[in-house]
Amino acid sequence: MKFKFLVSIVLAFAAVAGTASAQLTAKANHDHITIDFFYHGSSVSVRGVSDPGTDLIVKITSPEAHQTLRQKGKVAGLLWMNVGKLTFEHVPSLYFLHSTKNLTDILGNDELKKYVLGYPALEAHSEVSPVSGDAEKNKWFDEFVKMKESSKVYSTSSGKISTTTKDGLQEYYVLMDWPYQASPGEYMVTVYAVKNNKVVEQAESRVSVEQVGIVKSFARMAKESASAYGIISIIAALGAGFGVGLVFRKGGGAH
Amino acid sequence: MYLYLPVALTSINVLIPVGLGLAVGLLSGLFGVGGGFLMTPLLIMFGIPATVAAATDSNQIVAASTSGTYAHWRVGNVDFKMGLYLLAGGFIGGLIGVQGIKVLNAMGNADFVIKMTYVLMLGIVGTYMFIESLASMKKNKTAETKPAKESGFSKFLKSLPMQTHFEKSGVTHSALLPIVFGGFVGILAAVMGVGGGFLMVPVMVYILRMPMHVVVGTSLFQILFNCIEVTFLQAYTNHSVDFILAVLLLIGSTFGAQVGAVFGRKLKGDQLKIILAVIVLVVTVKIVFELTLSPSLLLSQGGGH
Repeated sequence: MKFKFLVSIVLAFAAVAGTASAQLTAKANHDHITIDFFYHGSSVSVRGVSDPGTDLIVKITSPEAHQTLRQKGKVAGLLWMNVGKLTFEHVPSLYFLHSTKNLTDILGNDELKKYVLGYPALEAHSEVSPVSGDAEKNKWFDEFVKMKESSKVYSTSSGKISTTTKDGLQEYYVLMDWPYQASPGEYMVTVYAVKNNKVVEQAESRVSVEQVGIVKSFARMAKESASAYGIISIIAALGAGFGVGLVFRKGGGAH
Repeated sequence: MYLYLPVALTSINVLIPVGLGLAVGLLSGLFGVGGGFLMTPLLIMFGIPATVAAATDSNQIVAASTSGTYAHWRVGNVDFKMGLYLLAGGFIGGLIGVQGIKVLNAMGNADFVIKMTYVLMLGIVGTYMFIESLASMKKNKTAETKPAKESGFSKFLKSLPMQTHFEKSGVTHSALLPIVFGGFVGILAAVMGVGGGFLMVPVMVYILRMPMHVVVGTSLFQILFNCIEVTFLQAYTNHSVDFILAVLLLIGSTFGAQVGAVFGRKLKGDQLKIILAVIVLVVTVKIVFELTLSPSLLLSQGGGH
């Protein structure tokens, strides 16, 4: 069963630079994704209005954190196995970036780095240790992105945002899959309006993902009442094992 | 139908864990192994984090081995006395093994030693069981009767103190023997992070000389207690047992274990041994491929082997 919620995001105005008349608007119905027993991911849509002729970048990220991952390497020139751990600092667990055009066509490197837009900017913003130099950092950051993309929690695209002009204003809309792999928590949505290689306007909102009902109860119990949770898990398993044994005993006369 | 797993933090099609449980439970009831060496990598393949996969598998083995032990006990195939001695040894071995991991980690090459031990153990056990059971099957076919030769090793075993008779298994050994070998399996299982059923079964067959059908029931009995301990420790210290996933797995595995136990009674001991040997060898080959082929991802979340 596939449950999909359409979530539109309300974006509050937050004009950054004064080079354009602040026209960036947005509309929302829902910004709260609930994880229940039958949750299998969702959809998030961001829509709004911007100045005509501006390019748009929509970024969704989780708060930055540090992540320690196992690193595979070749041992004795032949065998692949875990050879150590790498720590990635200042990286979000989820990073979605959608833009109307290729990022490098609409913004210079300085602007990309300033607003942490795109994987190269995220790499420059992050710290990876232990690595011997920039080349090794680059290699392992690429591996990091590959792993995140395979879990569907990192994604970038250009041209996916649709725009139409109406009453002299530009309306934009982007729809993206929200992966079930994204952990519960608060996610930041930022929309950047871009003109003449500069970010001219910026607006922010949040998506919150929360466990509810039975899922929340189990997750909470596993953490907060660990011994009771362990004992219940064991008793349930013992009971199920005996129960099925008894069923087979009753029905197993033929053997 | 998909269900969300509250500790694994992922969503899974219910048919996957139920099907996996059924298949691995069948092996469990047939051969007296927990099946962790198959289940844990399969769960990881379906997107379950490694730590949750290993811990939750222990939880479901509690159910499968209860079901299997019960099925084997009904037909008198569980040697509780032997099982308790093995358990005592396994418990001490587990404590030593955990210290062993600390030493390996401090030496900095833990993963290499663990993987190599695992592959070698699987390979040696699988090959020996395969050759031995094949020879034994051929011998039975030609109806040759060879007097059992008294090796130096068996003379030595008989000279050990605390000799005791194990009625169900029909063997007499020093009580030290199951404790020491149970301990040896416990050390290796703790170091390799596996239940050790695939090691305990050959120890019981070839060293303790127990009949194969009693081996299966007794192995399940001691696996049950090991997995109760591991499940509690994993839930208490790592919070990594996913109850919903465990329930889905045990729906399949408890039935699988019963079917396996019934089916196993229709097979001869040598047939059971040779099939288990083939499965162990296939797993060995799979691990060797994993070690030698370039992995698609060079980074992974922590936990598991």
